Amino acid sequence: MNDSLVVELLVSGLLYGTPLVLAGLGELLAERGGVMNLGVEAMMLMGAVTAFWFSQSFEGPGWLALLLAILIAALVGMAISTVYAFVVVTLRANQVVSGLALLILGGATGLSSYVASVGELAGPSGRHRLQAYNLFGLSDAPVVGPLIFSQNILVYVSWGLVALAAFYLYRTQTGLHLQAVGEDPRSADAMGINVARYRYAHTVIGGALAGVAGAYYTLAIAPTWVDNVTAGAGWIAIALVITAFWRPGLLLAGAYLFGIVTSLGFTLQARGVDLPPEIFSSLPYVLTILAVVIVSSGWGRERFNAPAALGQPYTREEA
Amino acid sequence: MTAAGAPTRDQDRHTVSARGVTKAFPGVVANDGVDFDADRGEVHALLGENGSGKTTLCKILTGLYRPDAGQVLVGGDTVAFRSPADAYEAGIFMVHQHFSLVSSMTVAENVVLGWHRDKGRVFNRRQVEEEVARAAERFDMHIDPRAIISRLSVGERQRVEILKALYRGARTLILDEPTSVLTPQEAEQLFVSLRRMAAEGESVVFISHKLDEVTALCDRVTVLRHGRVSGSADLRTSRVDARGLARMMVGRDIAFSRRSRVDALGDSEPALELRDVSAVEAHGTLALHEVTLSVRPGEILGVAGVSGNGQVALAEVIAGLRKRTAGDVTLQGKPLPSGNPRAAADRGLAYVPEDRLGTGLAPGLTVADNCVLKAYRQRELGRGPFLSRIRILARTRRLLKAFDVRGTAESLVRQLSGGNAQKVLLAREISSEPQVLVVATPTRGLDVSAMESIRSILLEAAAGGAAILMISEDLAEILDLADRIAVISRGRIQGVLEADGADPTQVGVLMMGGSLEDTGVAAP
Amino acid sequence: MLRLPEIHFEKRLKPPRWLGPAMPPIAVLAALIIGGLILWASGRDPIDIYQRMVRVSFTNPGALSATLVAATPLVLTGLAAAITFRMKVWNIGADGQLMIGAVFASAAGIALDEQGLAVSMTVMIIAGMVGGGLWAAIPALLRVYLNTSEVLTTLMLNYIAPLILFYLIFSTTSYWRDLTTEGARVFPRGKTILEGAFWPEYGGGVVVPFGFILGIVLAVLLTVVVRSTRFGFQMRVSADSPTAGRYAGIRTARLLVLVMVLSGAVAGIAGASQIGDFSHRLEPKILQFAVFGYTGIAVAALVRYHPLGVVVSAILVGALSNAGLALQGPELPLGLIGVNQGLILLLVAASEVSARYKVVVGRRPRTGHGAQQAGGDLDGGPAEEPASGGVS
Repeated sequence: MNDSLVVELLVSGLLYGTPLVLAGLGELLAERGGVMNLGVEAMMLMGAVTAFWFSQSFEGPGWLALLLAILIAALVGMAISTVYAFVVVTLRANQVVSGLALLILGGATGLSSYVASVGELAGPSGRHRLQAYNLFGLSDAPVVGPLIFSQNILVYVSWGLVALAAFYLYRTQTGLHLQAVGEDPRSADAMGINVARYRYAHTVIGGALAGVAGAYYTLAIAPTWVDNVTAGAGWIAIALVITAFWRPGLLLAGAYLFGIVTSLGFTLQARGVDLPPEIFSSLPYVLTILAVVIVSSGWGRERFNAPAALGQPYTREEA
Repeated sequence: MTAAGAPTRDQDRHTVSARGVTKAFPGVVANDGVDFDADRGEVHALLGENGSGKTTLCKILTGLYRPDAGQVLVGGDTVAFRSPADAYEAGIFMVHQHFSLVSSMTVAENVVLGWHRDKGRVFNRRQVEEEVARAAERFDMHIDPRAIISRLSVGERQRVEILKALYRGARTLILDEPTSVLTPQEAEQLFVSLRRMAAEGESVVFISHKLDEVTALCDRVTVLRHGRVSGSADLRTSRVDARGLARMMVGRDIAFSRRSRVDALGDSEPALELRDVSAVEAHGTLALHEVTLSVRPGEILGVAGVSGNGQVALAEVIAGLRKRTAGDVTLQGKPLPSGNPRAAADRGLAYVPEDRLGTGLAPGLTVADNCVLKAYRQRELGRGPFLSRIRILARTRRLLKAFDVRGTAESLVRQLSGGNAQKVLLAREISSEPQVLVVATPTRGLDVSAMESIRSILLEAAAGGAAILMISEDLAEILDLADRIAVISRGRIQGVLEADGADPTQVGVLMMGGSLEDTGVAAP
Repeated sequence: MLRLPEIHFEKRLKPPRWLGPAMPPIAVLAALIIGGLILWASGRDPIDIYQRMVRVSFTNPGALSATLVAATPLVLTGLAAAITFRMKVWNIGADGQLMIGAVFASAAGIALDEQGLAVSMTVMIIAGMVGGGLWAAIPALLRVYLNTSEVLTTLMLNYIAPLILFYLIFSTTSYWRDLTTEGARVFPRGKTILEGAFWPEYGGGVVVPFGFILGIVLAVLLTVVVRSTRFGFQMRVSADSPTAGRYAGIRTARLLVLVMVLSGAVAGIAGASQIGDFSHRLEPKILQFAVFGYTGIAVAALVRYHPLGVVVSAILVGALSNAGLALQGPELPLGLIGVNQGLILLLVAASEVSARYKVVVGRRPRTGHGAQQAGGDLDGGPAEEPASGGVS
């Protein structure tokens, strides 16, 4: 039962969907505050490369190496997003151009590749890998076993974070303030909410989550380094935020759907389905376009709009 | 005359005071040594023309601006507000003309936004909703705490703003020209609430430039002119001469252009005609419902109404910027295609939109570019696909001269003052010698002299035979300029009146959605 | 509690004249300094490396030629970016458009018979334009008719385009694949175009690829179009305020599609130039690796999307890329070039603020809201210009 095609797809959907959940959630929080960070991919790659480097060079117990590697990835993501926040929040630079700058700077042919070459990371496979738990000894239970009871720590963390984010957004006043900052910063400011502080904080949280999402690639999916290991996942995470109407719950579902589509190629090929690999490889991107088209054109547009001030710098008209 | 007509022995009387407050902006001193006191239990009018510095003073009192010199005192102590949040702490709230409401959120959510008492706590929606409902009841304001702001009328939104202040324990409430967005009846209702607040010991500062409102509502008045206090009076004790207040406010007797309605329009065919025109907003709700109107050559038809009642849609439908869902528009007897701005312009329609910088003008381009914004397709401005810079500049200089615009052809439009920008816009539109001119809120936000010249430009255009449809929220302006008045409410024309002898109260009933029968007057 | 630096902004009415031209060199210099610090931090000698970069890109024999080769695609993708970014239409898809342009142009090049160089070059250029234009038409039409953000669609299409190239060369026996030799069947590669259709080079000491000259011609043409034609007037109005454009009777939707397709076509020419000038066959891996499109955005942003400026900044950024390739190795990892380009773009974006605001750090400006006008009304205030950008 557990090796049926459906279960296998679901399991790998979870595997490839988790970084999308983490990075998407970070971007969701930033965008709820009105900051669009197109540099997600770069922060993921930087998280991936620094986490991998650390886990390779750290002398100590495996669990500690992994834990510290994840923390370092988060810190790197925070550092990069702080620079980004300074440029777009304080200096009010254009968010599309600045996001792309971040992408070129940190991305596949930028700093992440440089760091990897300095650390001579390419080639050897990693010493440490996040292991799946066998929760309550239920990992062999039919269907739910492999899906729910035998995942690694970051999967469980991502579930917790989604629930936390939903609670934060809808049930706390700080969450309410964040939404106000993203919808109407002028009014929020007039009501004494520090727009810049909210935007900084959530952009930086977004950066931390993107860094961890990157670490997931080199610590959980495949502990080895190749340049551009994320292969556009950062962009899919950004698209997911839109297609999930900026709602954490929907983001989780969407991420796993994309995870399944991403893994469709390997899974079917392993089962002897003979189709050109390019067709499967293009599926996530085609699906993203379709999803964004449907959301932005049709019925979704009226009910769930983007944060009204998304991508727009805010300047108080004051002395 | 001192700033405070009331006794100043007891410092406790003052909720908030200004002492020698000065604030300059590049090129103009907005406040020049202003003294001002608001007392407990009073409604205090701050009277002045546009540009006299009254809003600047209030922005200083509420921490939005910092004074260059002078002090703000609360309860006798000097304070230095760094932001509006500091002013809230001191119990001072301002209801701006532009509301600070997040339109996608509910009334209750907006009321608690930024309120420190609940900061960091779990947001207890039901409790807040109950509290808001109670506060609304206390001041006789009908508001559903669960309503989404975007679905509320402007009057209701204003109530939410006031409620927000009261919920946070405001001791001083400053309202910036609150009645400019209200019907006369809604204004009455607002006055009742404000008086009740004063009776409960709050202090209300009421910014206005309308003398009748001030005498009807307020206890004391401070008049500002050119950034200085030009006079003050206690309306409870002294007999106030409204003419005297007016002179303090303006410094001379007011003499606005007024239309002499002697010229007979005759029975000429209408230049612009709308028959049963309907249109919708972007999100699908009805914006215009079966509107029928006509304007004859040489006539000014004023469209009166509280803003947000379909005026924008009306103008856009005529100008072809919005598709109509039903009905016909005819220009000079010929039907106009729906949603085609180019066809409308080609057929002799000029349009001065409410949104000047951004719609009517491209603010980042030069005055010259803006002067040919529509005419750039004309043959005589170039050859083939190319435009002739020389000819464009020549035309621009001609327009600038004819309409007395201060600015060069090469300066960017956003560097112009509001009045000059509006003149550029009007110059371009009128120089196309339109058969029909649609103007929306033509003088809003302009200073007196600019207002005056815009008015005479419009009257001249009408005298030259243009049919003018003028949309305005300023009823006084419509009464001054229009031949007939059409009143719009919720996208419907409630009635059309002759401007001569029109009674503001009667217009008010129509503005609130009443019919001509309700006003007891037969349609002309 | 997070404490933010006290930075204030005074709105400028007129930025000083020197500011515009001064910004790009300052940004480049700052990027080189930060890049140098990164080099130094990883134990290398930045002065030495920069000296060698100047040598391999400018002063060595043949160095300038190599720089112009690297600059050729960047002029074209830079122009593609400049056309749309000026109008605040975010076509990030020049990479994909270039690749599809290359597919079309190489098909034309393979199909050609001995028609003479002028004819075959024209055919290849048009083919490249058609390919790039079509690929750009997809996001343009989606934006106009279905309201879909072009940022995401152009990006996703950047990931799909190389897969098409890989499919054509590696997964099928398509028209583009070379099947003439045993070796080519085992190690797949593209079919070489007709030798008579190879694009010429000019110059004596310094080799100037034809594509580069094409780029200069296009830059001049675009400058003239934007400045002095009725179509360019429409572009300038819509760029400043789309609402004003609609008000003036400009068919903004049609204009947007036209501009996007034009931008894609220019990127497509870059693809044609890759085939005609350099590789002479479809090379999926090289095109995917090069990211000419993103680099083109940096090229265009550096000169604030001015077409003529693009030529200069393409040479500069091309020199950087060329140096990266020439010195590639343990001494100078390739990633550093991306770091420098990213830094330049980020600094240019960040410096935009100085054109519109005077930045004051630490102390409160005495007066604020400088846009207030003498004689204007203080109660109403001048209208803010509409904010730009935004995905949704």
